[in-house]
Amino acid sequence: MTKRILETADVTKDYETRTVVTRALDHISFRVESGEFTALAGPSGSGKTTLLNLLGTLDTPTEGQVKIDGIDVSACSERERSELRLRRLGFIFQAYNLVPVLTAAENVEFVLMLQGVSSAERRTRARTVLGDLGLGDLVDTRPTEMSGGQQQRVAVARAIAAEPEIVLADEPTANLDSATAESLLDLMVRMNHERGVTFLFSTHDPRVMKRARRIVQLVDGRIAEDELRDP
Amino acid sequence: MLVHIAARNLSRGWRRSLAVVGSIVIGLAGCMILVGWSRGFAFQMADNAVRSDLATIAIQARGYQANPDPARTLPAPPDEVLALADGRAGVWAAPRLRAEGLVQSARNSSRGAIVGVDPAREPGVSVIAEAIVAGSYLENGTPRGRQLPPVLLGTALAERLRVGLGDKVVLRVPGESGIGAYRVRGLYRTGSSAFDRIHAYVLLEDAMRLLDTPGRVTEIAFFVDRSQDSLALRDQLRAELDLDAFEVLHWSEREPRLAVMIDLMDQMGWILYGFIFVGMAFGIANAILMSVYERMREFGLLRSLGLGSRRLLEMVLLEAVLLTGVGTVLGLVIGWALVTWMGTVGMDLSMFSEGLRRWGIGTTIYPSLTLDDAITPLLLAVGTGLVAGLWPASKAVRLRPAEALRAT
Ligand SMILES: Nc1ncnc2c1ncn2[C@@H]1O[C@H](COP(=O)(O)OP(=O)(O)O)[C@@H](O)[C@H]1O
Ligand SMILES: [Mg+2]
Repeated sequence: MTKRILETADVTKDYETRTVVTRALDHISFRVESGEFTALAGPSGSGKTTLLNLLGTLDTPTEGQVKIDGIDVSACSERERSELRLRRLGFIFQAYNLVPVLTAAENVEFVLMLQGVSSAERRTRARTVLGDLGLGDLVDTRPTEMSGGQQQRVAVARAIAAEPEIVLADEPTANLDSATAESLLDLMVRMNHERGVTFLFSTHDPRVMKRARRIVQLVDGRIAEDELRDP
Repeated sequence: MLVHIAARNLSRGWRRSLAVVGSIVIGLAGCMILVGWSRGFAFQMADNAVRSDLATIAIQARGYQANPDPARTLPAPPDEVLALADGRAGVWAAPRLRAEGLVQSARNSSRGAIVGVDPAREPGVSVIAEAIVAGSYLENGTPRGRQLPPVLLGTALAERLRVGLGDKVVLRVPGESGIGAYRVRGLYRTGSSAFDRIHAYVLLEDAMRLLDTPGRVTEIAFFVDRSQDSLALRDQLRAELDLDAFEVLHWSEREPRLAVMIDLMDQMGWILYGFIFVGMAFGIANAILMSVYERMREFGLLRSLGLGSRRLLEMVLLEAVLLTGVGTVLGLVIGWALVTWMGTVGMDLSMFSEGLRRWGIGTTIYPSLTLDDAITPLLLAVGTGLVAGLWPASKAVRLRPAEALRAT
């Protein structure tokens, strides 16, 4: 039996600006199970970021429920949500994933520090993870001295090091050239295989999409298609 | 690690940090110099007053302070009270007989304070003997014969009366026998022109004759080398004397207006500090606010990593406090160094000496500070940093993480 990690029940999200109300998500019901490697596909403006933000407790739905490990997020306090993000969720964004004043190792350690890991342990853990992911050379490098691809890889390392149940990645390859994008995907696939880390990532790049084992198509804030594939 | 991040963020925006630190340093150092000066002024004023005539402590007959009638002499022989200074290191005592009266010359007359002093003891409690600018100080046991008794006049009083050394003046006090002719033996000049315009000094025995109070004095003046011990000495003297017959008064009780003025100068220092810190608070808030706006996205990222809102608040506050702290410590060190230097060298203000003499200050100011002058601003600064950081910090925290992440 696989475990349901994320679940939305009839989720709607409206953005209200002064003049208009935009429905970014329209009654989405959807779930992600442990071990998945799923792409959230759809054209720009289809609601991918909005959905990932709701799943990541970074924003709250207008209607409906988001559940993480069966916990109804809307019933949680701000503090509990921070705690959920810290312990169960990992994030990778399109760019600027790293704290600029911290080195690669310190970026990883920062999350471990928030988790309450002792300073000696987080030092070794950060270095081990970066080494395992082939980023040993970057340990003492600041983000400003890294390429975009390197920054994204360090972001993956940081997400993995925190041992989350799921990593939410919002167009992680959008700013990368295709070769770099491929190798980032390779890394994610490897983590999924080797460590069983669940990934949910959005993209509108067909080449990235085809690496997924499940593709959820969003169009205008609705799920247009949800297919399982054999990559 | 949060301290680490805060420090690095501050050094990343070093121009802005430098501007804030610089303004704190200048403001604070300037403020300390001003406070130091006003302390120096106040101290000098008090010191001059005490050393010229006021004395640190005076023992008088009960009621003399309220009604300084020369007939209210000490209810004991002067020697008995003078003995109180014996065996006390750094404490000096001298008898005085004082009366309000008129000083007259052939050309003019002026209201004056006529003070009889003992030249053997008086230099221990006042600087008049050192302030002689022409002629010489009084001396005991000068053969009289048919000579007129000697008197010392302040330069300002002599000018007013248009008399010089060797000239004759007449002193007049209320009462039947209260008139006598004297010869100007010396002219003195203290740090206060107002003082010099009033006081005429004669020998104690001559004053007793003039006032018809043989063997009696109106006060015993005490001078204490260590001014910080003065209140303790007053209390000891009070314990040793019969307070129904005597009053023992500190200079601040004899000249309450001077004491109030010095207090006022002290308080002005605090008001100044207050202004500086209010100004500083805006500068700090502005700098932190700018850096918060620039880093909204970063805050969104930190939130997504699971940084709680409390800790984010702490992080931003930490930056503000750190920034203020660095500026304050630097400002205090620089300000302290400057004031200490000025205090050691002494600021020669002879350029403005007439103006200063009017205030009774003399021509050299020794700016000084107390430890309080440094500790209070330090605490104030940390408080100011916190308050100034609170507003930007709350901005950083209030934004929903998703919104913060959208910020560019
Ligand atoms: N903060 C916001 N305020 C107003 N409209 C928004 C906001 N965020 C997203 N939208 C709108 O919601 C829709 C979905 O956006 P988004 O989730 O960013 O799509 P995607 O990530 O698929 O490009 C778009 O029409 C977008 O313009
Ligand atoms: Mg998007």
